[in-house]
Amino acid sequence: MNVMQQVEAAVTQTAPKISAKAVDVFYGDTHAIKAVDVEIADKMVTAFIGPSGCGKSTFLRCLNRMNDTIDSARVTGRIDLDGEDIYAPRVDPVQLRAKVGMVFQKPNPFPKSIYDNVAYGPRIHGLARDKSDLDAIVEKSLRRAALWEEVKDRLTAPGTGLSGGQQQRLCIARAIATGPEVLLMDEPCSALDPIATAQVEQLIDELRSRFCVVIVTHSMAQASRVSQKTAFFHLGELVEFDDTDRIFTNPGDHRTESYITGRIG
Amino acid sequence: MTAAKSLLAADAHTRRRNAAETRFRAYGLAAVLVGIGALVLLLTTILGNGAGAFRQTYITIPVTLNADRLDPAGNRDPAEMATVTTFGYAPMLAQALQQHLQAQGIAMEGIGPRDLMAIISQEAPAQIRAMVLQNPDLLDRTLELEMLAGGRIDGYFKGRVTLQSAERDANVSPAQLVLAQAMADAGMIETRFNWAFLTGSDASGQRPEAAGLGVAILGSLYMMLVVLVLALPIGVAAAVYLEEFAPKNRLTDVIEVNISNLAAVPSIVFGILGLAIFINFAGLPQSAPVVGGLVLTLMTLPTIIIATRAALRAVPPSIRAAALGLGASKMQSVFHHVLPLAAPGILTGTIIGLAQALGETAPLLLIGMVAFVRDFPAAPPEGLFDPASALPVQVYNWTQRADPAFVERAAGATLVLLGLLVTMNLIAVMLRRRFERRW
Repeated sequence: MNVMQQVEAAVTQTAPKISAKAVDVFYGDTHAIKAVDVEIADKMVTAFIGPSGCGKSTFLRCLNRMNDTIDSARVTGRIDLDGEDIYAPRVDPVQLRAKVGMVFQKPNPFPKSIYDNVAYGPRIHGLARDKSDLDAIVEKSLRRAALWEEVKDRLTAPGTGLSGGQQQRLCIARAIATGPEVLLMDEPCSALDPIATAQVEQLIDELRSRFCVVIVTHSMAQASRVSQKTAFFHLGELVEFDDTDRIFTNPGDHRTESYITGRIG
Repeated sequence: MTAAKSLLAADAHTRRRNAAETRFRAYGLAAVLVGIGALVLLLTTILGNGAGAFRQTYITIPVTLNADRLDPAGNRDPAEMATVTTFGYAPMLAQALQQHLQAQGIAMEGIGPRDLMAIISQEAPAQIRAMVLQNPDLLDRTLELEMLAGGRIDGYFKGRVTLQSAERDANVSPAQLVLAQAMADAGMIETRFNWAFLTGSDASGQRPEAAGLGVAILGSLYMMLVVLVLALPIGVAAAVYLEEFAPKNRLTDVIEVNISNLAAVPSIVFGILGLAIFINFAGLPQSAPVVGGLVLTLMTLPTIIIATRAALRAVPPSIRAAALGLGASKMQSVFHHVLPLAAPGILTGTIIGLAQALGETAPLLLIGMVAFVRDFPAAPPEGLFDPASALPVQVYNWTQRADPAFVERAAGATLVLLGLLVTMNLIAVMLRRRFERRW
């Protein structure tokens, strides 16, 4: 049994990290997500693939309630994180987002120093008792984002002065610093060159040991490289959800097959 | 088949397009030149008229402060000495001037005592009287006193009055000018920088040489203080709420349209509003900087709100998403990230609004700020309720007066106003440069 099979075997025995049941999303009159059921396991990478406008990003943004910030968006159905309904009225989305971190398509560091970028989350959530504690969190987060060696001598330099790939890893470090359990990544490599993409992909593979990672990607090659599970969305529906190997070698649905062979999308 | 066209010769269509472009450039250039020309004309006119206000002519002669006349009771009590009015001082000055001229051997052909006295400003006896009342020990001493020269004499040394114009002028004779020139040659008359123009208070229509802008500058500064303290927080709070928190519905649309409309309301309407509400209804005093400041606040609010909303809208949404994605609350994302990034735009908008308010005249006329105010307002906050003038109103006021010397004063006041506006705009540019960040 190779490493990946061991991981997968361990996962199937535990309860899913996130479970969504009959989730529908509407933007005004547009029905963007139609009755999606999905169970996302902890400690592995789940990829959402599909053609543009298929709703994969919309669904991702349901998982940390970022759709709440759009006035016209309406979400129905049930999404549980560790068995708790994240859309329950008593849930404060602010607390949820500390647990479910997010990395965006375009690197969006704050126009502040590298240190302040990473320290912002711990500061607003009161995670550090004092300055040395905060320093430790910043260093740990930057190390986990594989950026520490490159920036340790210029932590006071502006985060916006880094290269694109470094900026995206800084955003990952920033998301890690609040101590999340789930990391959502919305096409994190689409604005990066191939070398930076490879670095970020390697990082995602390492993050799998600590976090539940959900990644939206345009690139099927990327999905097959980094993920263990893949969900294929088409026109707002979840067409197929299975092990990545199976999706790419032996898809169950003819639409999935058409997409991965390049006939639709 | 048409013959193949050569690239070396432009065809008719291309020539027409090129000609149209050349014409358009010429129109644009002409428009810019007209604008610059108008500005240069304006500035040279104001400078030419107003530069003289910053220089003033002074007469220095030895004067013996005769105690018999100025302190008849002989007890040096300022309260009793105050019974001697400026009419007690004026003859003494005339006498001192006559004696000094005789001692210097300067001829006074064709000049009677009244004409001689007219060389000295009517303001001078009042100045000397104030000095003596403040320090009675000066009595019975002979001092070298510096006094303002009369308005026409001042004009002669600035080139406004000439021997030719004096012949047609009932207020001054060529003989007086000849005498003044002789006094200047003897070192008794000097023209130098006029601090009193910036620090002194207004004077009556007969004494343009004594009129200063101090009260008006202070009044304008007090009003700007009120506007800044009220309009900036209210405007920014309203804009942040409307832009970041308010739901987008019919009500907020109506509010938004009305704020834009408010920015286009003629300023005199705000003056009527201020008169009706702040003075007649709320009972605040007339001519007070606090009322002027309130009226100008109402006028400035739309400018600040609109500028702030534009600045907030210019902050990329990705910054908000990043903060919210980290678990920041809406307010934290606004105050930690959006507002600091919008600060340069907000500051620029605020300063432009303040500059507009500084130059506004019409609403102030209606709330009584056009009054003649000689006393300086006290220090804030009490001073905000004292009567004061304002710079643009002072300009308006001075242009109404008969004496041509006030034209010079009004132009000088305009220069001060322009100087303040340019300074404020420079501050806006500097703040923008300083706080602008890239993302």
